[in-house]
Amino acid sequence: MSLKSLHISLITLALLVIGLITKQDNSNHNYTLITTSKVYTAGDDITLEFTFEGNPDVFMYCSNSYGPLILKPEINNSLKFEIPNILSNKSGILNWELHFGSKRNSGQIEILPKDKINSIETYIGPPSIEAGGTDYSMLVTVPTDDLDNPLIDSTKVAIKRQFLEIRELDDIYIKNGIGYKCLYSDDKSGRMLISTECLGLNSKEFDVNIVPAIPTHFTISANRIHSYADGNQMTTFKTSIIKDRFNNVVSDGTFVTFFVTNKAGLKAKTSGTTMGGIATAKLLHPDHEDQWTVKAYVKGMANSEVITLNYEQVITDFEVSFSEDHRLITVGPLQSFMNQYVPNGLDVTLKIYKDGAIEHQMIEQSIDGFANFKLNKDRYPRGRYKLEIEAAGIVKSFADINYE
Amino acid sequence: MSSYNKNILRGIILLSYVLIIALVIYGVAAIFSYLNTGADRSTMPHTEVKQADQYLPELTWSPLANEGRSMDKENLKAIEDDYLDAWYVRYVAYMTNSMGGVDDFYTESVRKHIRNIVSMNSDNNTFIEATTLAHHPTLEFFSEDGQLAVLTDHDVIEYKRIFNDKKLIAEIYEKSTYRVTLLLEDGFWRIRHLVRMESAPYSAEQEINPITVSDIKGINYYPQATPWDMYGNHFNEAIINTDFEIIKNAGLNSVRIFVPYEDFGKSNVSKDKLEKLVRVLDIAETQHLKVLITLFDFYGDYSVRDWTLTQRHAKSIVNALKSHNALLGWDIKNEPNLDFKSRGEDLVIAWLDNMVDFVRSQDPNHAITIGWSNVKSAALLEDQLDFVSFHYYDQEDQLPEKYQALKANIKNKSIVITEYGMSSYSGFWKPFGNSEDDQADYHQSMQTIFSDNNIQFMSWTLYDFVEIPKEVVGRLPWRQNAQKHFGFIDESRAKKPSFKYISTKE
Repeated sequence: MSLKSLHISLITLALLVIGLITKQDNSNHNYTLITTSKVYTAGDDITLEFTFEGNPDVFMYCSNSYGPLILKPEINNSLKFEIPNILSNKSGILNWELHFGSKRNSGQIEILPKDKINSIETYIGPPSIEAGGTDYSMLVTVPTDDLDNPLIDSTKVAIKRQFLEIRELDDIYIKNGIGYKCLYSDDKSGRMLISTECLGLNSKEFDVNIVPAIPTHFTISANRIHSYADGNQMTTFKTSIIKDRFNNVVSDGTFVTFFVTNKAGLKAKTSGTTMGGIATAKLLHPDHEDQWTVKAYVKGMANSEVITLNYEQVITDFEVSFSEDHRLITVGPLQSFMNQYVPNGLDVTLKIYKDGAIEHQMIEQSIDGFANFKLNKDRYPRGRYKLEIEAAGIVKSFADINYE
Repeated sequence: MSSYNKNILRGIILLSYVLIIALVIYGVAAIFSYLNTGADRSTMPHTEVKQADQYLPELTWSPLANEGRSMDKENLKAIEDDYLDAWYVRYVAYMTNSMGGVDDFYTESVRKHIRNIVSMNSDNNTFIEATTLAHHPTLEFFSEDGQLAVLTDHDVIEYKRIFNDKKLIAEIYEKSTYRVTLLLEDGFWRIRHLVRMESAPYSAEQEINPITVSDIKGINYYPQATPWDMYGNHFNEAIINTDFEIIKNAGLNSVRIFVPYEDFGKSNVSKDKLEKLVRVLDIAETQHLKVLITLFDFYGDYSVRDWTLTQRHAKSIVNALKSHNALLGWDIKNEPNLDFKSRGEDLVIAWLDNMVDFVRSQDPNHAITIGWSNVKSAALLEDQLDFVSFHYYDQEDQLPEKYQALKANIKNKSIVITEYGMSSYSGFWKPFGNSEDDQADYHQSMQTIFSDNNIQFMSWTLYDFVEIPKEVVGRLPWRQNAQKHFGFIDESRAKKPSFKYISTKE
């Protein structure tokens, strides 16, 4: 009795289960992926094949790194979805979802970049760095396959560089799709040449200029054909070869300013840029005895020590002659250190005083050793004047000049 | 005579010559001046003012620990902006199947891939409305010269609606991780490589432990003088305080108020209005009232492109109020089912579904509901909500039956009627309308039904209004006038007979 009831219940249960399964089969469409491969290489033909029961009117949503597409199947005994190469060419995860009615099957395949390289994009910057081993430029390399996919991480990239006698080779490994290396400068200035190699493909040549570091202190000298204060010759200031702390000559064009202070404390400046580390600048001699102290600066970076220059008086005395009416004044002859007439262009100043106050000042330049002043009748009418003439630091005064 | 004619002829020929010459000169001048016009030079350095917010997905940078040059705020912001714009223009390209704007945010070699997809979709008559909802980028690398950056964007939530022959054929949620290489080219950070590292279908739907609400006896509230404009220039705390006191003394324990979407500044929520909203909750707290806040009042777009903006709006408001003691919960949207016809049911549901998840992610501690306009829609998205709410303006005698049917459908969750009421308008525009006594009868019987069936309720509304904005019920006078007289207190601030039945008597 109990056995019979057990049998009955077992059979009922079995029937029930079969019934349920059959029912499910009838009510549901069934699509099974038969393509087993889940990993592909970019550029492979990818076909997803499904066996199916039921309605073949389905579509597949498919998306890769860049975007989604809708695919329709090729229907034979099975459903074949051919992934178009605009998706299969790109590396990354490709999702697919098979939609039937309101239901969906989904899955994904991984597409790896090819292991053949097609190009090495290389970026390098900054293009010039300072010598001394602390400054650096960075090389970033993005090797890609022929379908423009970045190669997989841990691919080796060789970085080759040449600098003076040094040739170096470093291996780096791609991480996050790129490889990079910091290229530090050496103590020497110059040009570093760099190239990269990955899977047998070489990049073109890149260069980084290593420019000298900031200048260090330097010395200056002055060069002049004589030490007379003739107001005519030039004194040339010159720096020593300006170098950085690693003994590199500073870059051409480094701007040097020479500050000149005279006895009276007045300042003048002149400047020049370096060529081969040396900067020169010129200044006209004074026209009277003076002492110059000179100091040069590379602004904010370096300076020289002070040098002193003495200029000797060349004109010891000069004559002043008046015309009959005192209105034409001739100064001269102005004679230099060998009694030669001073070169043209020496400033001679005439100051005209009336009633103790300065009335006018005239400056004439000497020509052939003489300077002439003409006092106009209309400008200086009848009266008593005092005249003061100065040349080369010597002052001569004439009181009680009467004009009719 | 003939010489006279000849002279006329000569004159005409001469004049036509002059005319032709004049036209030729004018034509040449026009061409010349056209060739002399060109782009405004001031646009060259890309310093133009950015336009209004268009795309604001949630974006959280992981702490900076990148290789290469250390990152600064300005560059990071520039990368973030251009990176998000890149997503935006790509999705616009897939929606319109055109390449507008793509040039600015993708390098030449990448544009090719996008163009391929666009042209294939265009050939197949497919277009895609899509948006990303969240980004979690990690900066991996920033080059020393500041021209190249690599980031890994983790758990990007993408939502896509695929249309074929203008018919929605699929809705896709994906969660993916992308590795992005960007190059700084003429002032734009452009995507050079985009590789999806991980991806999986995504579902935000998790089992929720519904937060139960009990014993809600409430009312929908607008100040009498400024209905539908509660946070404007006429905001008056004293009035709100008095009104809340009336509500409290009438035996009610909660109010339902509204946050109008555009009025609050859309994605860029007005600080001033938000402060006023907080003040309303402060007042409610002093009166021991709880507040149900209806987000997205007067919002009707729902389009996928707008999702990130609505998220940002919700984020600002939810985060400003989520720790307030007076907060009862969030009513995501007032009567969204009324937009089913014009916007498409599936789109509205998809938006609501996402917004419920989003608000819950911002504030997991308060109940969330949707204020459906009728019982029929009340069960929609039921499994996502903490409690179910609907509005009831039908015959009161049908309520018990409909309520019980709904209750049988919805297990383990509270159901609240968040709007019901009757207009006491009877006049020129509606000669056979209900009188104030009819209204009182209606409320009396509703209260009986509530007590008998143990229904939680929020009535519409405290006051009769003098002025109804046209956006609420339109301009038609019979609608306007009916809408004015739903209150328990009339225009002259006298309690109507229905006031007696504003709440169940204990």
